Amino acid sequence: MNRQIRVVGIGVIVMFLVLFGQLNYVQVVRATGLDHNRLNTRLALAKFTTKRGDINSADGVILAHSQPTSDSFKYQRTYPTNDLFGQVTGYFSFTYGLEGAERTFDADLTGANAPFQLPKSLKDLTVKQDRSQTVTLTLSNKLQQLAKTQLGSRKGAVVALDPSTGAILALWSNPSFDPNPLAAHDQTQVRSYWQAQNANTDQPLLAASFRRRFFPGSTFKMITASAVFDKRPDLATKAYPQLPALPLPQTGGQVLRNFGGEVCGGPLPDLFRVSCNSGFAAIGLDLGAQALADEATGFGFDQRLPIDLPEAAQSLFPAASTFAHDLPGLAKSAIGQQNVQAVPLGMALVAAGIANGGVIMKPHILAQVADSQGQVVRTYQPSPWLTATSAQTATQMTQLMTTVVQSGTGTAARIPGIDVAGKTGTAQTGNNTIHAWFVCFAPAIQPKVAVAVLVENQPEGGEATGGVIAAPIAKAVLQAALQGP
Amino acid sequence: MAIAAANPTYRLPARRRTELGLIVLAVMLTGGLYMLASLGKAGSLPANIGPFLGIICALLLVAHLGMRKLAPYADPILLPTAALLNGVGYVFIARLDHHLAGLQALWTAIGIGAFLLTLFLVRHARDLERYRYIFALLGIGLLLMPLLPVVGTNINGARLWIRLGGVTFQPGELAKIALAIFFASYMVERGELLAKGTLRIGRFMVLDPKYIAPVLVAWGLSLMIFLFENDLGSSFLFFALFIGMLWVSTGRHAYLGLGAVLFTVGATFALKVIGHAQSRIHSWLNPWTLYDTPGGGYQTIQGWFAMAAGGVFGDGPGRGSPQRIPAAATDFIFAAISEELGLLGGAAILAAYMLMVGTGLRIAVRCERDFEKLLATGLSLILAVQTFVIIGGVTRLIPLTGVTLPFISYGGSSLIANYILLALLLRISNDSATPVAAAATDMTVLS
Repeated sequence: MNRQIRVVGIGVIVMFLVLFGQLNYVQVVRATGLDHNRLNTRLALAKFTTKRGDINSADGVILAHSQPTSDSFKYQRTYPTNDLFGQVTGYFSFTYGLEGAERTFDADLTGANAPFQLPKSLKDLTVKQDRSQTVTLTLSNKLQQLAKTQLGSRKGAVVALDPSTGAILALWSNPSFDPNPLAAHDQTQVRSYWQAQNANTDQPLLAASFRRRFFPGSTFKMITASAVFDKRPDLATKAYPQLPALPLPQTGGQVLRNFGGEVCGGPLPDLFRVSCNSGFAAIGLDLGAQALADEATGFGFDQRLPIDLPEAAQSLFPAASTFAHDLPGLAKSAIGQQNVQAVPLGMALVAAGIANGGVIMKPHILAQVADSQGQVVRTYQPSPWLTATSAQTATQMTQLMTTVVQSGTGTAARIPGIDVAGKTGTAQTGNNTIHAWFVCFAPAIQPKVAVAVLVENQPEGGEATGGVIAAPIAKAVLQAALQGP
Repeated sequence: MAIAAANPTYRLPARRRTELGLIVLAVMLTGGLYMLASLGKAGSLPANIGPFLGIICALLLVAHLGMRKLAPYADPILLPTAALLNGVGYVFIARLDHHLAGLQALWTAIGIGAFLLTLFLVRHARDLERYRYIFALLGIGLLLMPLLPVVGTNINGARLWIRLGGVTFQPGELAKIALAIFFASYMVERGELLAKGTLRIGRFMVLDPKYIAPVLVAWGLSLMIFLFENDLGSSFLFFALFIGMLWVSTGRHAYLGLGAVLFTVGATFALKVIGHAQSRIHSWLNPWTLYDTPGGGYQTIQGWFAMAAGGVFGDGPGRGSPQRIPAAATDFIFAAISEELGLLGGAAILAAYMLMVGTGLRIAVRCERDFEKLLATGLSLILAVQTFVIIGGVTRLIPLTGVTLPFISYGGSSLIANYILLALLLRISNDSATPVAAAATDMTVLS
């Protein structure tokens, strides 16, 4: 019988070796594939059960916070300012993933990119260490709130930034969305809110401030004027005829009318101050397509805006070749119509470039990252994005823009004691509405803040201009920004 | 002999001292794991660590002292290994379900009581041989008990439980042991006949149908368990035990062949006729496509995900998410352990079982009498097959059948039955290791 028992023993060894082999198959050979399997929510859940740092505004308001819970997610992400910073912080959603700053600074917030720290206590060794880090943004709650109040129920966008660093101070668009329902743990609630946002034709999830394009209208004249100084200084002193409308070439009698049919003309400063369409259209034709397109590219058109938020849009100016047989198009493009489209943030950067002596700094929302003890581990270092123009042109442009506010179309933005440089825009949308723009910076000497305001789809009419609708909003934001935090 | 008589307990201190040392080691490992699991889960030492260590020390000390008194010459490895597995199981049950942990502690105490009671009642393994038909009836009765009206209870589609008062019990766990005793005794008595019962038909020697009858009876019984109680695992365990013991006792390969044929016939029949078996096989072969089907692949795949998450080194005690696996504290506890202790921890558990089974078989080899030899083999086989069936099922090596992982899974019946099994193995070991002189003294004292 002993012989059989020994055979049984060998059989048992074989059985257990096969089990051991299968363990290796599951835990080693197949492990990575299983970890990333579509049906496996372990990794996702691990991410969602890890403590995540706060996102704060520059003036110390908590914009995103992880609240401990007793459910399987362990933490509930909350956004105390609701829709005010929704498009900036984005959301942290189990169903729809990460958006906004939550996505860009994910590794900072979870501490995944934090330097390794030696465990300081027994708890550090056994429990997952709290490696979460706090991200402080450059945006100010005060300015953001002001932008929201100023814009009110009107659709549009307000962007404010520091021209010398590229630090974004306010980035508001209406409508916005509340990230709280998307970060909820009840997935039915999450899905229904998501569907409602997507069904909304105003597209709150697609921030107007940095993800959508609009006709820039006359604000584009900043670039046309800058092109004059850079490419054809002789045109700066040329006196353009006083006209109510400019006859367009190649059209057999079509004309480009001035706003309200008024008669305007003269040298560049006069054209710029009153935003003369006929004069600028003629300048555009004089400059030629290549010079205009080059200048637009120099100011950041046709390039993705390098902000540290996901999926920013790019402003568009058509390639020079498309105007070869389309001089009317070139004339219209010189005044920001036809196929020219601009992102509000992009227009703020145009103003910022002029304000900063021709150099556009990279726009950014990150100020600094601090560990859970409050120790700063990373501070954003400003860096230039583009050299749009020369310091000399920038000075000349500043002068032009200052007269717009002093005695031109933008007087509504005048601030007592401070020189404001600005440009209005009233872009025709083609459906009896206009986009009202105001792009500006202040003070004119050593500027501290640049602002772009867009109010969408205002009913067409005498009073509906960028100077009337958008300039007062920009003025309020400038004033508040110059007051400091 | 004179020397032995002068110092009749000369082997006693060594073996029992080894056992005590190993028990201390098992307690240290269990206590350490318990603390780590609590640290990993809550970040603090368990509040009840004092009473916890006190209770396991007390329970194991009682078991050890009982061994000194009742089976002083028995093997020193089995009890500490069982204690370690029991402890690891408890830590994971506590980590998964507080309520079950309290019950498991109670079952452990009762299990150790049953262990000591068995050692106390069964003074010599050979005594059991006399009651073979009582054990046969007991075994069959226990097996069929869940089919009784009123007390019989269905849980998870299998009718394996009886409910008395508020307590459910799985009598099949005890039936295995009773039947192993019966088989051992029956096969030893009929050994000659079973081994030689052949007919010559032409040029071939074949088994006499007369001696095939017991095999057919066992087969029928196991099919019946399967048909009426829906218990694939126990049915297979029972049949494998019978065929294995028959082969060990006779050495006739024909029985293995016959067993394989009958198993295939039974399995094919089951597969064709019984929906429960079909769904088990389907969810084994296609767990991914049956992921969302009730009773489909969800559990197996969650087990796989858990084990994959653990990898080689594991997530660490208390730091994984084994609560995501259905039945993590019972059938799937091995996946929970593999998640948090990793491949290394899982392999250590396998090694512990191999050590127990190997020790059991070594005890069998050292026995002088055939009955004890065969019984020790049968009991070791129960441990080995049951462990293989459930770990194989959890890792998807074989179709999943719901049997418990000995000493580790939550479950009172299983724990008590396994402690009784352990007591019997130790009793057999003690019988064969007792020096002749000591045995003589023992007999003098008794008589």
